[in-house]
Amino acid sequence: MTADGQLPGQPVLPPAAAGPESSRTPDGEWLRVHPASPFVRGWVALAAIAFFFGRDLVERSLQGQPVFEEGFDRRAPWLLGGGAVVLAVAVLGFVLAWYFTKYQVSAGYVRVNSGLLYRQHRQARLDRVQAIDIVQPLLARIFGLAELKFEVADAGESAVRLAYLKIADARQLRATILAQASGAVAGAGSGSGSVGGLGGPGGAGPGGSAGPGQLTQPAPEAPEFTVLAVPPSRLIGSLLLSEQSFFIVVGGAASVFLSALTDNRAFYFYLVPAALGLAASYWNFFNKGYNFTAAISPDGIRLRYGLLDTQAQTLPPGRIQAVKIAQPPLWRPFGWYRMQVNVAGYGTSGNAVEGNTRTILLPVGKFADVLAMLSLVLPDPGTDQPEAVFAAGLGGFDSDGGFVTTPRRARLLAPLAWRRNGFAATDTALLIRSGRWWRELVVVPHQRTQSMALHQGPVARRFRVADLVLHTTAGPVAPRLTQAGLDEARQLFDEQSARARLARKRQTTEQWLRQVVPAVEPAAVPHTPVPGAPHPGTPASEARTHYQQEGQTHG
Amino acid sequence: MRTEAIDPPGIAWQRVSPKYITVRLVEWALANLAAVLVLSAPLLFVLLGWWRWPPLWLATTVPAVMLLVAVWRLVLIPRQVRAIGYAERGDDLLVRSGIFFQRTMAVPYGRMQYVDIAVGPVERGLGLCTVKLHTASPGTNARIPGLPAAEGARLREQLAARGEARLAGL
Repeated sequence: MTADGQLPGQPVLPPAAAGPESSRTPDGEWLRVHPASPFVRGWVALAAIAFFFGRDLVERSLQGQPVFEEGFDRRAPWLLGGGAVVLAVAVLGFVLAWYFTKYQVSAGYVRVNSGLLYRQHRQARLDRVQAIDIVQPLLARIFGLAELKFEVADAGESAVRLAYLKIADARQLRATILAQASGAVAGAGSGSGSVGGLGGPGGAGPGGSAGPGQLTQPAPEAPEFTVLAVPPSRLIGSLLLSEQSFFIVVGGAASVFLSALTDNRAFYFYLVPAALGLAASYWNFFNKGYNFTAAISPDGIRLRYGLLDTQAQTLPPGRIQAVKIAQPPLWRPFGWYRMQVNVAGYGTSGNAVEGNTRTILLPVGKFADVLAMLSLVLPDPGTDQPEAVFAAGLGGFDSDGGFVTTPRRARLLAPLAWRRNGFAATDTALLIRSGRWWRELVVVPHQRTQSMALHQGPVARRFRVADLVLHTTAGPVAPRLTQAGLDEARQLFDEQSARARLARKRQTTEQWLRQVVPAVEPAAVPHTPVPGAPHPGTPASEARTHYQQEGQTHG
Repeated sequence: MRTEAIDPPGIAWQRVSPKYITVRLVEWALANLAAVLVLSAPLLFVLLGWWRWPPLWLATTVPAVMLLVAVWRLVLIPRQVRAIGYAERGDDLLVRSGIFFQRTMAVPYGRMQYVDIAVGPVERGLGLCTVKLHTASPGTNARIPGLPAAEGARLREQLAARGEARLAGL
């Protein structure tokens, strides 16, 4: 295939040898994606060809001209021949790309070989999996197919994509990959023999006896437990009250006013394409955010959403690098919040729109939903009163909930937000809050801190304040503590280094079911769903997680 | 104006080689003098009577301001180079820079994905190199310029060894 991301310089292999190189092939079976996938992938190209040849005919018939002009008899063979050749080349290209794409899951790795002229061999370590998505565009959905996207974080390598598989196969493959990645199944490539008897709920079972590389043993899908769902009415409300709507109203009013003032009707014409673009944008948000549900399983957080194109994301535990909870001013009367995350691989992959939707952890939700999601992201909040602390982070001022804010001497630098700008550190995460109107709370687990920096400019120095920036993987969340007092910032800089160091020591393996027991007993026991318990479809109100079972009520 | 350092007290900073000032001077000359020369061209043309449009005051002011800024930057270079420092602590590497705009960064050894050594033509002539640290975050923009080549190699080996010993996942 000649898609992007090819490694040049690979030798051209004759078809006979183009399959797996038998000498290096591990035990796992090499498989091809579904035979229909070239057509599902290539339907855009086919549609373009049809459009190109069909447009002329349609235009002619619309103009009342004869559909075929006089010289058509002579040109027809050429036209038909040309069209057939283009079509054949396109179809052949897709079919060849399909033929030469093979994948294999074994011995702790996923391997994908692709390419006809430029062979590409991609190999991804399973224990480095950051996220697995199953994507179903509308056409693939009609055919019962799905694309499996697999994000790893090895040296900025982009996703491994398998398009398309039968939906059941895709789910099975996801379960297999997750079972290996979690360490529930032996042969995850780490070499250590002991499985440790930690077979997660439903994770190990029959798969536990599989030797390295023997992947044909199907791993059962991990049980799920629905945590919350976003009703469509709330989604529509959140879209209508978004910042975008605000600017539309202002922009529309301004242009109507201007056109009335200048008696110039041309303004209305500019509004038409703008309205079309906006409708498309709203539709996109609605299509992506529709039917959003979040569930928890031993494999991690499962997010499902989509109206026409559906997507199911799986974020294994501990893969979320940073969380941002934001509330635009128009959402405040309704108590709605939006949550976005940084996940390694999501920020750098593909186009911006896709990256945007994938990083949304909760498109719109109430405070209780936010707490529920936070309890999934951060099973151990590291504090006795998580609800009070997070409530203070979202809506509090000054030192509520143990936050340390910008000192009073620097209030001129942030006249509105100085009482909000602040931080609080729990045993497991650093909370940074900011914004008076656009309220924001950023949560960075100590384990996930990459590096950090103190910044101070000349103005900040006059007020003896400094900014602390935490560096995290690429994504929508950029944790920055603004205008903290110099002494507090300096102290935090030191303490945070120590906390991050301690957290890193506690976490020794990427295989989350083999996680060592934390040195410090967590304050609150993470909520673990009981396998087989009659929980499916439990409404979010009943499924409230432990944050609220602590007895604290949010006033 | 005496400035209070923002970095934690009690750290013995390793400073970079004073020869790095020369590197910065060459970079400064290439960037700023070229800009001043280009901006002076209209003045020349106006004086020669080829151009009419930019009035003489404008044609003079723009390159003059540019020249002033360039000279100001030139004066700052030695201070800036002296402000660059790094310190190897038990578990992380501290890198600081700047006096007017200060920055102190801590990069844990366990988070380093790889360490680069870059040598430009001027640096090579002076026997210097630049060490760059990369973590999984694009925000980690930690570079230590102006290290003597031997010190750069030593630092890289040291960082690689310590990183391996403490390597953590993402």
